[in-house]
Amino acid sequence: MQKILRVAAREYVESVKTKTFLLGLLMVPVIIVGIVLVSSRISRDKGTARGPIRIAVGCESADLFAKVKASFDQHNLTHSLRPITIEEMPGDGGGDQDPGKKKLRQGGVQAYAVVEGDPNGGDYDVRLYTHRPKPAHMDALWTVESLLRRAVVDYRCERRGLDRAMLDKIRCVPIERVELGAASGEEQVQDKGHQVARMMVPFAFMYLIFMGIVTTGQQMLSSIIEEKNSRIVEVLLSAVSPFELMAGKILGLAGIGLTVTALWAVAAYGGVRWQGLNIDVSGVMIGYFLVYYLLGFVLFSALLAGVGSVCNTLKETQSLMMPIMLVFIVPLISWFKLAQDPNGLFARVLSYIPPATPMVMVLRLSTGSDIWIGEILASVALLAVGVLATIWFAAKLFRTGILMYGKRPTPKQILRWLVEK
Amino acid sequence: MNVIELDGVSKSFGPVRAVDALSVAVPEGCVYGFLGPNGAGKTTTLRMIMDIIRPDSGAIRVFGDRDPLARRSRIGYMPEERGLYRKMTARNVLKYFGALKGMPRASLNAAADEWLGRVGLARHATKKVEELSRGMHQKLQFAVTAVNDPALLILDEPFSGLDPVNQDLLREIIDGMRAAGKTVVFSTHVMHEAERLCDFIVLISRGAVLVDGSLESIRSRHESRAVSLELEGDSGFLASLPGVEAVKPAGRRIEVELSDRADPQDLLRALVERVRVLAFEIKQPTLHEIFVKLVGGGDAEDS
Repeated sequence: MQKILRVAAREYVESVKTKTFLLGLLMVPVIIVGIVLVSSRISRDKGTARGPIRIAVGCESADLFAKVKASFDQHNLTHSLRPITIEEMPGDGGGDQDPGKKKLRQGGVQAYAVVEGDPNGGDYDVRLYTHRPKPAHMDALWTVESLLRRAVVDYRCERRGLDRAMLDKIRCVPIERVELGAASGEEQVQDKGHQVARMMVPFAFMYLIFMGIVTTGQQMLSSIIEEKNSRIVEVLLSAVSPFELMAGKILGLAGIGLTVTALWAVAAYGGVRWQGLNIDVSGVMIGYFLVYYLLGFVLFSALLAGVGSVCNTLKETQSLMMPIMLVFIVPLISWFKLAQDPNGLFARVLSYIPPATPMVMVLRLSTGSDIWIGEILASVALLAVGVLATIWFAAKLFRTGILMYGKRPTPKQILRWLVEK
Repeated sequence: MNVIELDGVSKSFGPVRAVDALSVAVPEGCVYGFLGPNGAGKTTTLRMIMDIIRPDSGAIRVFGDRDPLARRSRIGYMPEERGLYRKMTARNVLKYFGALKGMPRASLNAAADEWLGRVGLARHATKKVEELSRGMHQKLQFAVTAVNDPALLILDEPFSGLDPVNQDLLREIIDGMRAAGKTVVFSTHVMHEAERLCDFIVLISRGAVLVDGSLESIRSRHESRAVSLELEGDSGFLASLPGVEAVKPAGRRIEVELSDRADPQDLLRALVERVRVLAFEIKQPTLHEIFVKLVGGGDAEDS
């Protein structure tokens, strides 16, 4: 046991000292903050110039067309950098010979709106044609839609003799969400950003595990490959048993995973508090998280210890990493479904598949929904069994694989090592 | 007492039988050479002694104990494939391996510094391994092997790849170990190294023992019946002496081959009675010659 701890301590210290580790540790928060800042800037900044968009409008009613034109003119007045020009098309009731469609196909306009309906009732509908729209024009097309809608609503109001301004007033009901703190008088007005952030909390907890796993994995592979390439393995094996070596590595690198997660969690918590968000995570919850994180990291580093030991270069490990990462990506991409329905069948089933267990359970727990304690214990127990099985499997591979230089063993050979005593 | 006992040890890798029912006993306090051509099974045998790989059958006892875990801390092993952590400092590497071999924490610093001094690296203690020259690297590797003051040193092809200065240093270390009553086992295919250092040897070919025993006993068993002479005056009478099988001139000297039963001492006596003897040498077979004779040449190397 003392040797295992010795190996673990060295792994930990040497991994922490590497530049890639430090860089990775700092880069992730920097990148996240960067993305947040840049994206909030971009969404606020409507003033960037864009080339003019031309659309054709075919409208039977001259009166309505005037409204449409007024609507677009007003837009061009207030958004001089993002103009949308319109031209009138004599609509001839559809069909392929329609000059508007022809022009659209030729690229003369980016969209073609046909405003049609029962002229007597005056309730017009709009059909907006596009032809191979460019992604860059998506934004503009939404604007076109809302401008057309406003024109039609204006027209309908006028026909019915309704006051448009009054209607807008009636429809406008501002709702302010206020988060009540624990102390009396502690109130915090929540804007949209706060609400989204709150929704992302479960995802953040799961993402922490994922990032920890990725860091752990990279360190594990590079550590094993370094030992193989520098031919140090045999020197080591004269002092420790293969199992001690592997167990030490797993422990040391699971420690790396925990460190990374802890640091990021603290940083994220600090950031959230700084932004005035109130996220309470109970001590019991943190206890659960620690159990899941630790078991998850141990499972993953054991898996990679086995995989890494049969490879000779980092490049070789990449192809074996793919299927392993897939297991961890499934909960990551389905986080929304899991967060919306934390006690659904899908979430429950995933909770009992050991590699996915830590991520899914942390997500489910952090949604704040009630999860029966028995379910938690069962998932931890199953995860623990998974960890032991993985260690057993990895130890078999590790023992032989770590001494193989040059060629990678075939799947048949690997199977033989597994049945060998 | 025997430090290492191998009893009918076999190991196969797939269809290849690397070690075939090998039985070897290494007595305490000697320098023992595992000799043989490349691919004879030397490295496999040493790895099995270290419990790095396990034998298919047979028993291995080190210090009279079959439990491999207990023995590790009393052995210093230098594998054929050598390496050290490149990013660690020389002193930290020594301390780390010392700790892995079960040395008490308190004695690590002293032992590391002592060995750095012994291999002449005291000034480079805080340098990273990757900053050391190749020669220094090799010295540090010896120090790592011996840092825990092991009772048994196992060296796999220790001289291969060493520069001459480090070869001498390693010889000194081996001699020092022997003088301190410790046991050294090493494998080599370079015969003159074995000849210079070993008390006992075992010659392995295709995983099985060809010959083993003390160097003298092996030599005398394979003693050639040849004598090299230099005489003053006529030597025509040689062929008629009892026990002489063949006479062939070799420059100023004469090579005489004796029959199996003849004693070279009788020949000398007979010669002294007749002529002045300027030189008389009973030719000792070199290990290299024995090796080539037994293995059939081809694989033997002498460097």
